[in-house]
Amino acid sequence: MSEPKNDADLPGRSIAAGPAGPAGPSGPSAPSTMTAAADPLPGIAEADRLIAAALADHVRMPAPARLRDQLAHRHLAPRRPWRAWIPAFALGAATAAAVALLVVRPAAPADVALLDEIVGDHLRIVSAPRPLDVETNDMHNVKPWFTGKLDFVPPVNFRGDDDFTLRGGSLAVFQGHKAAAFVYQRRLHTITLLVHADAAARPRSEITRRGFHVITRASGGFGMDLVSDLGWDDLRQLEARLGSASGEKE
Amino acid sequence: MLSRKPRPLAVVGRSDPAGPTAPADPGGSLPEQALAHVDELYGLARHLCATPSDAEDLVQETYARALGGVARLAAGSNLRAWLFRILRNCFIDQARRKKIVLEIADDTVADRPAHEVWDTAALDQLRYLAAADLERALATLSVELRFIVLLDAQGFHEAEIAEIARCAPGTVKSRLFRARARLRAALQEGQR
Repeated sequence: MSEPKNDADLPGRSIAAGPAGPAGPSGPSAPSTMTAAADPLPGIAEADRLIAAALADHVRMPAPARLRDQLAHRHLAPRRPWRAWIPAFALGAATAAAVALLVVRPAAPADVALLDEIVGDHLRIVSAPRPLDVETNDMHNVKPWFTGKLDFVPPVNFRGDDDFTLRGGSLAVFQGHKAAAFVYQRRLHTITLLVHADAAARPRSEITRRGFHVITRASGGFGMDLVSDLGWDDLRQLEARLGSASGEKE
Repeated sequence: MLSRKPRPLAVVGRSDPAGPTAPADPGGSLPEQALAHVDELYGLARHLCATPSDAEDLVQETYARALGGVARLAAGSNLRAWLFRILRNCFIDQARRKKIVLEIADDTVADRPAHEVWDTAALDQLRYLAAADLERALATLSVELRFIVLLDAQGFHEAEIAEIARCAPGTVKSRLFRARARLRAALQEGQR
């Protein structure tokens, strides 16, 4: 229970309690009852004490078990030992090798106008005074924010991690239609993931435009374009994590 | 009124001159120590937000910022006060995003009862105060006054509240004084 604070020097209160209190207001934890006798309106100090006691009881509210579980799962989950990742790395390496054989880089360069638009959207986000419409590293807040603002649900589930922090999201316009921009951070680099609907299928391609690295791809009706001044390896890492999270439930 | 001045997303804890610097559980990791305060944070969030799910979202975002690398806790800082400050920042940001006006003035309740008399009968009613009456009284406070009076109820000292609310200790004193007077006025109004 909270101990009422000393408010003896507030307007209407006198600290000249004198003999009324055992020691007078001696510090932050001095109970306000010490000032009761000095109060020009009898009973006010006692009323304050009773209200403070009621508030102290009232403000304590156990967090729902679901919330506790979610927080514990998110923040206390033990890290997997590195050995557990060996099969995943092996599979990833094999997949990457197969993709490298199949995909000619750049296989089908997206047209220049499209690339300029992707880079332009990224520049607008990094250079705007208030770059993000929703600033949070919690995907639970970013995705719902787009509800009602887009006519599609962006298929993005990667919530960020220690390497790539989710910074938030923003509305963008891509080829005349509203698009979702998810913004991640890697060290000092900003990465924009543009997601737009009704995109004609196009193969994955890696292209450098005006010094920015761009990975474009469109499948399943969604265009997903990653753009950043980050190195290729890091950008591919993020792409892989986005891909692995896409099958997970949010 | 809550400050509308934009602040950086990162919240850096500072040494607290008055508050304890020892964590809730010195033996645990930072996430473990931080999660030990979830009930207190949820209790405050529940009184700031309109719905339980909003309160849960606010606590989720608070921990995401605190433990997700967005905010940093300086060495020797008061972890508990730091978490509450992040919660306050998150609450302001959420309100801004939802375009909610935070300052809610209720002119139907005077700042101080016109004829304030707390006799034995009136004090007895306070001893058996119903939660709904207390809620109604709290609802008459502006968000900032409610925030400060709830922090006071959580056991924070004025210096800690000043640190959390980013205002001077003198401001905390005067706001607490106003909040208490307003609560008394609202409760006395309810007794009639």
